[in-house]
Amino acid sequence: MELLWFAVFTVLLTGYFALEGFDLGVGLLLPLLGRTRADRDRMVAAIAPYVLANEVWLVAVGGTLAGVYPLLDGRVLSALYPLVVAMLLSWVLRDAGLWFRRRAGGTVWRGFWDAAIAFGSLGLSAGWGMALYAAATGFQAPAVHPLGLLLGVVVTLLFAFHGWTFLAWRTPGVFGAARSGRALLVSGAAAALPALGVLVAAMPYLLEHTAPPATLNVLSLMVLPVAPILVGAQVWVWRTFRPGKDAVLLPSFF
Amino acid sequence: MDVLDLARTQFALTGSLHFLFVVLTLGLAPLVAIMHTRWARTGQPLHERMTRFWGQIYVINYALGIVTGLVMEFQFGLAWSGLTDYAGDVFGAPLAMETLLAFFLESTFLGLWIFGWGRLPKWAHVACIWAVTLTAYASAFFIMVANSFLQNPAGAVADGERLRLADFGALLTNKALTFSFPHVIGAGLFTGGMVLVGASAYRLWRRAEETEFFGRSLRTGVLAAALGIMVTVAFGYAQFGGVAEGKFGSGNVPASVALGFMIEIGQLLALVVLFVMLPLIRVLPRARWAHPVLMLMTPLPFILAILGWMAREIGRQPWMIWERLTVADAMTPGLTAGMVTTSLIGFTAVLGLLAVVDYVLIARAIRRGPQAPDLGATAESTPSPALTY
Repeated sequence: MELLWFAVFTVLLTGYFALEGFDLGVGLLLPLLGRTRADRDRMVAAIAPYVLANEVWLVAVGGTLAGVYPLLDGRVLSALYPLVVAMLLSWVLRDAGLWFRRRAGGTVWRGFWDAAIAFGSLGLSAGWGMALYAAATGFQAPAVHPLGLLLGVVVTLLFAFHGWTFLAWRTPGVFGAARSGRALLVSGAAAALPALGVLVAAMPYLLEHTAPPATLNVLSLMVLPVAPILVGAQVWVWRTFRPGKDAVLLPSFF
Repeated sequence: MDVLDLARTQFALTGSLHFLFVVLTLGLAPLVAIMHTRWARTGQPLHERMTRFWGQIYVINYALGIVTGLVMEFQFGLAWSGLTDYAGDVFGAPLAMETLLAFFLESTFLGLWIFGWGRLPKWAHVACIWAVTLTAYASAFFIMVANSFLQNPAGAVADGERLRLADFGALLTNKALTFSFPHVIGAGLFTGGMVLVGASAYRLWRRAEETEFFGRSLRTGVLAAALGIMVTVAFGYAQFGGVAEGKFGSGNVPASVALGFMIEIGQLLALVVLFVMLPLIRVLPRARWAHPVLMLMTPLPFILAILGWMAREIGRQPWMIWERLTVADAMTPGLTAGMVTTSLIGFTAVLGLLAVVDYVLIARAIRRGPQAPDLGATAESTPSPALTY
């Protein structure tokens, strides 16, 4: 049972990196590839239908941490208190940018929220690298450490590459390149690699701190029967918004 | 303020901000779902416009519900690790279920609903908004399970230094939950109804063109508000059977004051809604004298909702878990006033500003009226700009 929930936790965290990785990556590329307002609209419209279905994987990671590894929930988050706060604020800004950018017309308004998307994506991507490094050292290293910053740069670059591949897959040719679904799988796997590495290294520690069987049994009984619906809803998103001639309809809500 | 006061203030401010948006989400979701179903059944343009206009208000409000919720989820681990250390084996389970069984699906289906306009088959699209409504209610249910456990720690036994889950069924049938969950759902419906009423009254008062659109919306709002306030009041009083001894009264003045104001204002509102607005439902759309009054009533459900949470949460003091764990012991050890001050300022400034912006956007959407809302606009864009690629 501990192994099963470790697998669920691993799927959720690596899934978050592979999925939300391209949303954050496109956010990072927004000031670089989005030279004109129409370009930025197309970039955001490309990720828009996926964002809500992708970012929620991290919410699920947080919930699983609370339910399956309750002792670690407090330890991990409070050990990285300033970093977690900064990452949360980055996430909030990125989301606010997406929801608000098209709710009013002005150039200043749009520019401000596009900047919020870019900086929010940057803060969250770099923050992940720093958090993963701290986790890899068993939270012995300070939240801001040269190697942590380096991993932050690596994660940011991986996400940016993944985002670029996503754009080339969903809107082939619009931003230069065209990539296949297989290339997107590869860049997704690359984006998830840092998280997977830390999870594998932390496996014995996680297994040791799993909630007792009474809690796990209840969670299994309640959650596992519904798992096919969770997977089905996600598959439905990918089927509905697959690339094609009408992939990026404008105006998009985001 | 010492570090404990700061951490409590942080939770109270972010939690209150979160609930201001959640309570409207809970009320508008079923109303928008009903409008969408009507549109799918009749195919009438009026129903389509109602779905898109009120759906747009709903999703603008939803944005702040999400971002404040993200902060709430991670705040337990950040500032209250004493709670997860002591009771995580019990308290963590409903939180995990909320994210996996409810919010995961809610967010996924909301994305399908917003961006599926013009892409999804008609009834599949309707199913999405009903799935969003259902999972929003499920989400509220699991959060209330977790909160009720703090009010009355049923289903857990002490095992050494920690609490152990003994009976999950007891968490679901907690006497602190059975009447408080419908109370919250009723309050949501009441809030959603009153927002429909207030916004429609504004449009009618301004002599907007769309008298049928907003006349209908106003009547729907009155019905929803009447049903909502009946449920809220009935399950509000029913809760007193399950309230722990000593929660209110001279021992806890702030909680008693919040409770008193909520009950007094709530009762007065119930009388107005049930014995004035409901009987006059056919007259109200044309009664210009009533429109400013209806507009001014719009903030009241939000104030009541916050008062209700103040009564419930301050009433629990000094306990984090009633008679098991104090709030002081639940705080993360080693937390400094500097850390919490910084995060308190960051969260309050960012979320507070975003909340103001969000309310301005909602007001703006109402002022602009139902002409060409952004929501569902893709369906109309012909020829598709994507063809030019």
